[in-house]
Amino acid sequence: MREFDYRYIYRYLPEILPFLGVTFLTVIASVVLGIALGFILAVGKLGKNKIGRFLANGYTTILRCTPSIVLLFVVYYGLPELMMGLFRIDINDIEKGIFVVLTFSLLFAATMSEVMRSAYESVDRGQLEAAVSVGMTPLQAFYRIILPQAFYVALPNFGNSVIALLKDGAVGFTIGFIDVMGKTNLIVSLNYGAHSREIYLGLALVYWIISMVLEYVMKSAEKSLGKGRRILKTN
Amino acid sequence: MSFNFEFFYQTFFTAFRGLPVTLKLTAFSLLISLPLGFLFAVIRLKERSKVKNLVSVYISFVRGTPIVVQILVIYSLIPSIMASIFKGLDIKMNVFDINPMLYAYIVFSLNTVALLSEVFRSALATVEKGQLEAAQAAGLTTFQGYRRIVIPQAMVAALPNICTVTTNLIKSTSLAFLMTVKDITAVAKVEAAYGYNYIEAYIVIWIIYIIICSLVEILFKLVEKRMKVYKRALVS
Repeated sequence: MREFDYRYIYRYLPEILPFLGVTFLTVIASVVLGIALGFILAVGKLGKNKIGRFLANGYTTILRCTPSIVLLFVVYYGLPELMMGLFRIDINDIEKGIFVVLTFSLLFAATMSEVMRSAYESVDRGQLEAAVSVGMTPLQAFYRIILPQAFYVALPNFGNSVIALLKDGAVGFTIGFIDVMGKTNLIVSLNYGAHSREIYLGLALVYWIISMVLEYVMKSAEKSLGKGRRILKTN
Repeated sequence: MSFNFEFFYQTFFTAFRGLPVTLKLTAFSLLISLPLGFLFAVIRLKERSKVKNLVSVYISFVRGTPIVVQILVIYSLIPSIMASIFKGLDIKMNVFDINPMLYAYIVFSLNTVALLSEVFRSALATVEKGQLEAAQAAGLTTFQGYRRIVIPQAMVAALPNICTVTTNLIKSTSLAFLMTVKDITAVAKVEAAYGYNYIEAYIVIWIIYIIICSLVEILFKLVEKRMKVYKRALVS
């Protein structure tokens, strides 16, 4: 067995790091789509419609119990068949990234719907009543009073969910998707597995640094947004 | 689209053969991680030393890297460490004969220890300092104070998070096939590749995971209900 050679930790980074763009793009796309779907789910959960509540809660329960890799496989193998069967459209040749984004949007939506619901519920009902009583329409009250406060409450959970999404996204390589993880795996197999531990360790460091940077950004955002919060704390 | 129901039905029972492996992985990792995680939490709350810094770095690393990468690092790193240990101790044993389950236990335990220590840390912080002081004033030793006063109260706060860690652990074990461990996912993968019945096989294990996780969640809810006894003591 070869000796541990620390130089291999950074040797392939110039080849791996450009694929960070792909990783970030899938994360951003999943976050945007996940927020959109999560918002609909949160509205369903908070709404008065029984069927809507049941569907939204059921969706969250099921997706929370789903390993990302299982959903990825179901989407990757199931979606082309479904499209073929229903619309006679052949999507076997489309980008693998689309399957990855779709999978993680579905998963992220479940998390986000819970984050949004709990954030909305954390804002005192009196706030809405007070806003309406000074002459705002309910929609205005939502945008100007409730949303900013709920946003602040949701921020830490949102940040943690994004970091979790970034990490979960690494399983994309199992369907042959080439992001930083996929590229690293390719390099390892091109080397016939030689120095795999060093190369994987290098990748771990890359993820570690990104997570720490994201965490720092989140903390700063929380701090700067928390400035006007004194009013809330006093009541 | 043709959905093979017969295969679906059969795979359901075949995949269940992988269930003991998944459960063993989960249970064993939890068993190791609960005491260790608690120890780490106490270290991080109390000591100001190099040990504390080391523990903090370790937790940050585990929380900052994907579990897939952790699996691949451990799976490629441990054999070489083992080999040098065997060589040093002059043990005639091939590293590649080691059961892959061992690696899986190591990876998932290392991961869960870090997550649980965070859970315990925040849970211990919810218990007022005066509680331990009061216990000591009443004549209990520090250990007794922790065991009888602090820990039961902290557990009330920790349980929902332990539930989340457990379900996440169950979900993470689906990646054990990367270490050639034959868990539910690995069994289904093999079955699927046999006759290209990928969708059926993966929907089967999807359902199995939903069932397991739901059961675990129900179990924790029941325990939580019983633990509420300690919460009442806290309020009064």
